[in-house]
Amino acid sequence: MDKQEIIEKLKNIVKPYIKNQEAFDNLTESTDFIADLQINSANLVDVILDIEEEFEIVIDNESMERMVDVKSAMEIIETKLSEK
Amino acid sequence: MIGNDIVDLALARKESNWKRKGFLDKIFTKNEQLLISKAEDPEVMVWNLWSRKEAVYKVYNRQTQIRGYFPLQLECLDLEIIDSLLFGKVILKERCYFTKTEITTQWINTIAVENVLDFDMIKTLENRKNIQKNNGIPSYCEKENSISKPVSISHHGRFEQIISL
Repeated sequence: MDKQEIIEKLKNIVKPYIKNQEAFDNLTESTDFIADLQINSANLVDVILDIEEEFEIVIDNESMERMVDVKSAMEIIETKLSEK
Repeated sequence: MIGNDIVDLALARKESNWKRKGFLDKIFTKNEQLLISKAEDPEVMVWNLWSRKEAVYKVYNRQTQIRGYFPLQLECLDLEIIDSLLFGKVILKERCYFTKTEITTQWINTIAVENVLDFDMIKTLENRKNIQKNNGIPSYCEKENSISKPVSISHHGRFEQIISL
């Protein structure tokens, strides 16, 4: 799976939880889930569970700790996919 | 340092399915999950514990400037009820924080402090006048040269609360 594919899947995952459409439309690697997309912090769990289901990976607590922006999420997904 | 968190219960019900597989395991410790399963109203307990973690995270974030998503590292302890307010402690990275939680049928609100005596000093602000944000962290400054005071703002659904020391 290449980067573009991952980011497209990630966009679909976060879409139902975002509260800032403009930030979502202009999403880049530096986009922050909470500060920019204004995802409710309780919904960040849903984002993480959706990522686990979509990519069939397990996100451990250590990885979850860094899961605050698109860049970290991509890195974590790529790492977990390569470990499969 | 202070932190607050407000949960609009009607919106929380709409936005989150806490019964979703894996949800509780990702954010609540074994002991907290036990509190939830034993609670008369498990849903209220979910948001009660969550608001405590959120409020304490805000204090920690202001202290350390560290951002992250580590709800399991915050552990809620020692619930005590005085005049229908819930007093508790939350432990994070061997630090202890104090929380005061108010629960109504519409919302749950937690205020967190480092120093338990600060509870008596906390004021509620009516609006965002004289509040500035630095690195996303708000503070209250009346005049240009006066000392700024820590502020915490929480907004969820129909409710907003602004507190200051």
